[in-house]
Amino acid sequence: MSVDRDSGVVFDPAELSEDVDLDLERRKEILRAESLIGKTTHWETLGLPWNAPAAAVKAAYLEAAKVFHPDRYAGKRLGSYRARLEKVFRSLTEAREVLSDEARRSAYARSTAPPTEFAKMEARRLEDERRVTERRARLARSNPLVARAARLGELATRGKLAFEAGNYGQAANDLLLAQSIDPSNAEISVLAAEAKRRSSAQRASELYEKALAAEAMGSLPAALEGFRSALEADPRHARAAAAGARAALALGDRAGARELAQAGVRAAPGMGLVHEALGLVLDAEGDKKEARRALERALELDPKLELAKDRLRKLRWGILG
Amino acid sequence: MNDLEPAIGIDLGTTNSVVATVRDGIPRVIPNRSGQTLTPSIVAVAKNGKKLVGALAKRQAITNAENTVFAAKRLIGRRWASKEVDDARHVLPYPLVSGPDGNDVRVELAGRVFAIPEISAMVLAELKADAEAWFGRPVNKAVVTVPAYFNDGQRHATKDAGRIAGLEVLRIINEPTSAALAYGFGKQMERKVVVFDLGGGTFDISILDIGKSVYDVVAVGGDTYLGGEDFDRRVIDWLTFSFAKDNGGVDLREDKMALQRLKDGSERAKIELSGLTSTAIHLPFLVGGGEGKPALHLDRQLTREKLEELTRDLVDRCIAVAERTLKDAGVRPAQVGEVILVGGMTRMPRVQKAVKDFFGREPCRGVHPEEVVALGAAIQAHALTAPQPGLEVLLLDVTPQNLGIMVVGGYFQTIIPRNTTVPTSETHLFTTVQDNQTSVRIAVLQGASERAVDNELLGEFVLDGIRPARRGEVEIEVTFDISADGIVGVSARDVVTGQQQSITVTATSGLTEEEMKRILDERVDELLEKKQTTQEFDLRRERMSATMAEIEGLRPAVSEALERTRFGKDAVQKAEAVLSRVRQAIEARDTSALGEQEESLERTLQLFKGLAGAGRGPGAR
Repeated sequence: MSVDRDSGVVFDPAELSEDVDLDLERRKEILRAESLIGKTTHWETLGLPWNAPAAAVKAAYLEAAKVFHPDRYAGKRLGSYRARLEKVFRSLTEAREVLSDEARRSAYARSTAPPTEFAKMEARRLEDERRVTERRARLARSNPLVARAARLGELATRGKLAFEAGNYGQAANDLLLAQSIDPSNAEISVLAAEAKRRSSAQRASELYEKALAAEAMGSLPAALEGFRSALEADPRHARAAAAGARAALALGDRAGARELAQAGVRAAPGMGLVHEALGLVLDAEGDKKEARRALERALELDPKLELAKDRLRKLRWGILG
Repeated sequence: MNDLEPAIGIDLGTTNSVVATVRDGIPRVIPNRSGQTLTPSIVAVAKNGKKLVGALAKRQAITNAENTVFAAKRLIGRRWASKEVDDARHVLPYPLVSGPDGNDVRVELAGRVFAIPEISAMVLAELKADAEAWFGRPVNKAVVTVPAYFNDGQRHATKDAGRIAGLEVLRIINEPTSAALAYGFGKQMERKVVVFDLGGGTFDISILDIGKSVYDVVAVGGDTYLGGEDFDRRVIDWLTFSFAKDNGGVDLREDKMALQRLKDGSERAKIELSGLTSTAIHLPFLVGGGEGKPALHLDRQLTREKLEELTRDLVDRCIAVAERTLKDAGVRPAQVGEVILVGGMTRMPRVQKAVKDFFGREPCRGVHPEEVVALGAAIQAHALTAPQPGLEVLLLDVTPQNLGIMVVGGYFQTIIPRNTTVPTSETHLFTTVQDNQTSVRIAVLQGASERAVDNELLGEFVLDGIRPARRGEVEIEVTFDISADGIVGVSARDVVTGQQQSITVTATSGLTEEEMKRILDERVDELLEKKQTTQEFDLRRERMSATMAEIEGLRPAVSEALERTRFGKDAVQKAEAVLSRVRQAIEARDTSALGEQEESLERTLQLFKGLAGAGRGPGAR
């Protein structure tokens, strides 16, 4: 057994003494290359340092081909060395293929990086990322135009996300701010208006629910206050108006009750409930004729309104009697 | 160097072939025995049964169209059922028949059926003989070129043709690659080169990276049915159409002789229009007028502009292929360091302009478009037989088409994609598709289609002895292997049991092994016959030369005797005539002609002996 001093490859004397037309050095070179297939990186296969560039890869490949391509030994007896040469040449070709494609090369570089190199690469990558972020921030600070654009983008993105999540209050806030930065942006304007509307409706129904709870607990002034706030948040919240009118009436605030009932009719002229409330207010005020008309209208829109039915019956009897 | 056996490079073209060699480190074209560098790739059997090749065959093509085969390259290695063969059957004047198993194409020539490789072999043998005459010694080793886009079957058929011609084909290389070899030989350059090869029958394009003495083929592409003959056909169609219009619907294509003359006339006009802007096509007495009417003549003027209009889409097709090939290789036209034009069709100004416009540079004018391919083949042949220090050449060639197998559903799964540098090998894992499947059929295919049936079947084999298991559980490893000389080997292995089967893909040239053997045997017989004839000739020549010497020796005595007699005055003249006929037969190495003269020569000798004896008789008195 003879051992190659540089690579530690152990040569088989039978292989070394095969009767072929190759000198000893060439045989050793081929056997060494064959024994290293699969054990080295593609760069090492081509005799290059790790992460050598594509141009060096091409040059090294062409040089190596001159040694390991079987055609270089045309007309010579090669014995088992022919298959060895082809095997080595294939590994060279594969190395070239991987390393001459930029995307494959960088992926391969990451997966084969020596530990120190890998740490360096990671550090470099993180450093690069940090620098990019910092650069952006610096740019944003130093340039009002860029700053505005960046702020606009940020607000719009956050607003849209909130909108999609159903958080209309937050969305309206961000989008309205964005709209104020760039009033000409139609998309943001439309979205801001919609967010604002939904946000108010959301807030109004919350207030309405609270007020209903207060009413149920018998706290009429708190309920009235709640219904007013709900209507304020969403002027189209007709139920709040109707409930508010009834509460005000119960508290003896006729003027307030009338105001609320009328707001309710304005907000939802097609809702029986508001006409009922108006009817009740008019009745309390003594305007029987108008009260009757309002109550009839309420029943027309919603025949199940018991209070309206009851009051209307009394009003009719009153006339009869 | 000189004691080494000479090796040659052969460009076996659709219309013309060229043979070359490297002598004293310089690649050079070998002229044929008539002193020409181009030998027409035409084979014929003359009316007297004699085989004719090259210019001789071309010269008699008009009068013997049915027994003259040209453009055999378009048929070599093709299947009888292919579209290409079907098209060819309608335009070629010689009869095509199907091979014995209905797979390949045969040609019927003077009552005998020839396989296409046999036809090509006749051209190769002619070139071999030319080279032998030039070297003055036998030549056996050759590199033969084929279009880059030839598939495995076509390459094998070409190799078989070489074998039939008595050549050891060292390597089949691609024509454009070969051109690049000739272009870069001895120049120590480093650049990307595009070879644009528009020949008689095929269009090929190759991109190479030349790094000093290493020629790395990056990509190849082409169209095996696009070439000068298509340009000719456009002119022929135009002429027949207008002729029919002018002469009450006479279809020239029905008359094989007229068609042959049209073909020649069209080709000549096309070539002339590379230099001129207008030319006349004049074919008198082209067809009989029928029923006692006078024969019809064809007389038309063809302008370069008209020719360009007739063939515009053909040029566009070339550029489209070029575009696709560059894209394959990831090369932009601007990165190309040189464009080499190869093939006679690239002399057409419109083609040159299209190339110039596409690549944005003037194409290289330093190479001879018709000879460069053969020169490159000679360089490769030289490198494979007698590498010389300082003039080494290493060609890293690629696979021209995708190689793979048929998978479930009749699809084609590529294992080695085209443009992969050879030698190479690739392994893929497949699984069984049925429960308890114990065997798989591996069909090896080559081509560009996703559907297996549209690709070329190279061979198939069965791997059995697979352990029974649920479908998808057995893994089969299929390995493709291509050696430096392009031989494809395929093996399949059951990963668990190690059961293995393999084939070496060899025979799809259309010729079966038995047929090949028969042809080679016939060739040996032919050679033996030739040798016998030679021996017979030599014997006869020796014998007759002795007789002639004897006659010459008797001449003074005969003259003397004749002076004294009134008889046999014409004997000397008659003898003179016989002697000159014998000398002629010896010159022409014509054994049979020599045999015919043997008897008269013998009679002359007897007569001379008699005369000399008679003269001596009275003189002694």
